[in-house]
Amino acid sequence: MAYQLYRNTTLGNSLQESLDELIQTQQITPQLALQVLLQFDKAINTALANRVRNRVNFRGSLNTYRFCDNVWTFVLNDVEFREVTDLVKVDKVKIVACDGKNSGSNAAE
Amino acid sequence: MASSANSNPVPKLYKSVIEDVINEVRELFLDEGVDEQVLLELKTLWENKLLQSKAVEGFHTEEQAALQAAQQQQQQQQQVQQVQQVQQVTQPAQAQQVILPPPQQQAPQQQVIVQDSKILQHMSATGMSAAATAAALALPTGVTPYQQLITSQGQILQVVRAANGAQFIIQQPQQQILLQQQMQPGGVQAPVIQQVLTPLQGGLPQQTGVIIQPQQIVLGSGNKVQGNTQVMQAAAMAPQPGQAAAQVQQVQQAQGAAAPQVTTQPQAQQQAQAQPQPQAQQPPMMLQVDGAGDTSSEEDEDEEEEYDEDDEEEKDKDGGEDGQVEEEPLNSGDDVSDEEDQELFDTENVVVCQYDKIHRSKNKWKFHLKDGIMNLNGRDYVFSKAIGDAEW
Repeated sequence: MAYQLYRNTTLGNSLQESLDELIQTQQITPQLALQVLLQFDKAINTALANRVRNRVNFRGSLNTYRFCDNVWTFVLNDVEFREVTDLVKVDKVKIVACDGKNSGSNAAE
Repeated sequence: MASSANSNPVPKLYKSVIEDVINEVRELFLDEGVDEQVLLELKTLWENKLLQSKAVEGFHTEEQAALQAAQQQQQQQQQVQQVQQVQQVTQPAQAQQVILPPPQQQAPQQQVIVQDSKILQHMSATGMSAAATAAALALPTGVTPYQQLITSQGQILQVVRAANGAQFIIQQPQQQILLQQQMQPGGVQAPVIQQVLTPLQGGLPQQTGVIIQPQQIVLGSGNKVQGNTQVMQAAAMAPQPGQAAAQVQQVQQAQGAAAPQVTTQPQAQQQAQAQPQPQAQQPPMMLQVDGAGDTSSEEDEDEEEEYDEDDEEEKDKDGGEDGQVEEEPLNSGDDVSDEEDQELFDTENVVVCQYDKIHRSKNKWKFHLKDGIMNLNGRDYVFSKAIGDAEW
């Protein structure tokens, strides 16, 4: 089962909102919406693994760290994200990272 | 093409994900007995929300315009009756009844003609639909398209800022007509934007709607201008849709009573006179699109203030005269509300990814991450690998 990690992204949230609207108008069932989300998980995981090929570097100061249920959560301050093309600076960023090894076999949640 | 050496991979990635998901769930939808139309609606909603979020650059430009054109044509059939009624009623206005920005009555006519030929260029350049572009160009001088909003129904709404600072919302017509500039003898017909005051739902903030209807602009020496623009005011749409609908009906009835035909000029004057009357009753030129300080919230605030006062009175009675009322704020000072400040952010920059290796040495941390989606400063980025350093 693929990670449900990517549901809280722009892409994932817009999908969830759209599904919610359809459920409210009773055009689809909640069960069907769940199936769609599961399919989304697979698709986004595959797409990220196969279709993206770029590197990013970043540097900042670590404010907090947490490791629970094999999930790392960091909060960094004054971070610079550097790609070949451009530079992005933020005051605060939260990083949520699931285990990248054997991601297919891990239970997601 | 040579200038875009490093194109943004995000839009393509998102589009491919959307396509994959939609194709994969098509079977699921059919198994459940759900119509294909619903699937398309899901796709449209999804894409519109992505566009609305502006997190992705250059997501859908020409494709979106074509899609929306197709959608509008589909929706046209549903709302033809309403449109026709409004259209017949509102066209014959002769008196140039532009209430708000006092425009030069002749200048916009010329502008429309000159710029008509550029509509197509403008459309492809900016990504706006043709109707939106034509409407933007047809506006009187001093009014510039400020923002384009897309409702959940796929309609294009333009928030327009006039010279005097007032903001209006123009609702696009349901029909994709008049793109080809039906040339009348010596005249140019600007697209007719229908005053379809359907109660706009949800995602679009509106406290007031001001809808500009460019009418037939007839050029020519000494010809009577059959109507320039009508500015209709409909105040307080969202909080009181019932009243707004009633006001609209009043106005429409006034118009309908005045001129059922298309080209009756003398009756248009009556119509023009009838229109200001219901409009004068409404508060003029409501500015805001959303936010505090609108009329509806005043009622709510009054209610809340009364409620709070009632509570305080009860507390005073219960606590006696020992000043126990002061204990509430005293105790609340013991709370440590550090986290609340940090979590009350609108755009919290988030990176969602997987970790290959997390390393720490004393207080030096090293991060090896992969397959991530980032939302930084409101924009979306992706990476296959990310390496970072931080000091704790």
